[in-house]
Amino acid sequence: MAAPLVKAVLGSSDLTLSVRSAVLRFPGFTQVRWSRYSPEFRDPQIDKDYHRKPWAELTEEEKFERELRKTQPIKAARSANTSSVFEDPVISKFTNMMMKGGNKVLARSLMTQTLEAVKRKQFKKFHAASSEEQATIERNPYTIFHQALKNCEPVIGLAPILKGGRFYQVPVPLSDRRRRFLAMKWMITECREKKHRRTLMPEKLSQELLQAFHNQGPVVKRKHDMHKMAEANRALAHYRWW
Amino acid sequence: MLKGVTRLVSRVHKAKHEEKHEGQHYNLPLQDMKTIFPHGLPPRYAMQMKTFNEACLMVRKPALELLHYLKNTNFAHPAVRYVLYGEKGTGKTLSLCHIIHFCAKQDWLILHIPDAHLWVKDCRDLLQSSYNKQRFDQPLEASVWLKNFKTTNERFLNQIKIQEKYVWNKRESIEKGSSLGEVVEQGITRVRNATDAVGIVLKELKRQSSLGIFHLLVAVDGVNALWGRTTLKREDKSPIAAEELALIHNLRKMVKNDWNGGAIVMTLSQTGSLFKPRKAYLPQELLGKEGFDALDPFIPILVGNYNPKEFESCIQYYLENSWLQHEKAHTEEGKKELLFLSNGNPGQLERLCAYL
Repeated sequence: MAAPLVKAVLGSSDLTLSVRSAVLRFPGFTQVRWSRYSPEFRDPQIDKDYHRKPWAELTEEEKFERELRKTQPIKAARSANTSSVFEDPVISKFTNMMMKGGNKVLARSLMTQTLEAVKRKQFKKFHAASSEEQATIERNPYTIFHQALKNCEPVIGLAPILKGGRFYQVPVPLSDRRRRFLAMKWMITECREKKHRRTLMPEKLSQELLQAFHNQGPVVKRKHDMHKMAEANRALAHYRWW
Repeated sequence: MLKGVTRLVSRVHKAKHEEKHEGQHYNLPLQDMKTIFPHGLPPRYAMQMKTFNEACLMVRKPALELLHYLKNTNFAHPAVRYVLYGEKGTGKTLSLCHIIHFCAKQDWLILHIPDAHLWVKDCRDLLQSSYNKQRFDQPLEASVWLKNFKTTNERFLNQIKIQEKYVWNKRESIEKGSSLGEVVEQGITRVRNATDAVGIVLKELKRQSSLGIFHLLVAVDGVNALWGRTTLKREDKSPIAAEELALIHNLRKMVKNDWNGGAIVMTLSQTGSLFKPRKAYLPQELLGKEGFDALDPFIPILVGNYNPKEFESCIQYYLENSWLQHEKAHTEEGKKELLFLSNGNPGQLERLCAYL
């Protein structure tokens, strides 16, 4: 997957004057997905602790960096990225993936209802269990969410490679980003498509998350299926050239 | 059992709630909740009760004020009307539940209408009333209410005797001197006569409360529904006014202060109301001219957001029950953020803490 953002266009024009990016530009290639910011723009620093550190405590490099930021232009922060203590990038990414048609309000409310549902179910189990089991029951919806997604991440993936006129499913290593994306995608598609039409998303999602947390359920099964396919097609591994 | 900032663990009887207990939570036995509140608890509070396996109420100033007035009621004077008003989510319904629990423990007869708005909207079956041709009956709502009334006030139903003969139809009638329990039974079994049974119950209770056998507490949630518009229509699609519903008509007579031997506590509510703006919370705005004139004179009691002490107490309660699971929620930063996000509004705080 070399340079995914750059598309081959014959005879690139001079359009790229005002719109530049930090990605390497090859001759004959034009940017397809670009940002409106030019390369000297820095990313915003949202962390509250970074800004609250007193001047005396900073090291030389940090002082230099602060002085540098005063002269450089900074991109605008996204409205969804807050400096709240309760913010979680994984939850934000999951909410964005659940969003349909730009309806962030609905996606966020579904996410919060899911977390609440997970919490209430765990509390019910907690109160019904004996005191030895109570120590093992996890009630924090955030740890359950993170652990469930970690359990759904595949270790190895498959890529279709064209050789001799046929497509072969070749086992291929996946980057961290791709693994996290696949786990979340599988979770959401499982809930949307394979469940009964009338069940609500928080109910479906909370059930799936709890099952994935215990390494059971359909999403973990899909991950195992992917691993088995990769194991079965081991012989084709040398088709990969990267 | 009182839980709160000072962590008093002694079991204090509710009658002894005073100013120094303000901000502390106290536990209500679950068995009482099932008898006194078969209906009438806010749905999120009922969920919280189910999750924690306990029912805890916070003692707050409006409820304390009302309790003080109720303790010093003069039963020879006409019934005083108290109206709890405030913005959305400040705790009007739960304060009402606190009052009801107190009066139930003092052995008053509780007449609790959980939400008057439910009687003026979404009614599937409207019958023309047999008693008065102009009015309409609502059999389902009336029978459900009678069932819950019976659960709350079992012991009074056999003691109170009706003082007039009522005829249901050609074959059935109730003699003078039979107990109120029979009227309620008739209403529950014969659903067609349920609304009339409710009317009889209200009339008899009003008449007999002045005799002094029992004290009567009329608790109505969402009283602005009685004088508002309805969304119900006749078969020819013309709208029905509130007074044409028999239940509403009888309830209006109950809320008038021409009887003695008890008190009337009411709550205004914009949440279920029809055709009222979202930001309206004052009595004049929600009741309208007609309602305000009908309820005048009344004692208004404002229910506001949490003050810092109550907020701290609420957070402590959630922490004790391990409801706040997020690690950052235990820190000072987290608490400041919760205060900012909810602005001290109890309803909003509850919704925020639900997913943290």
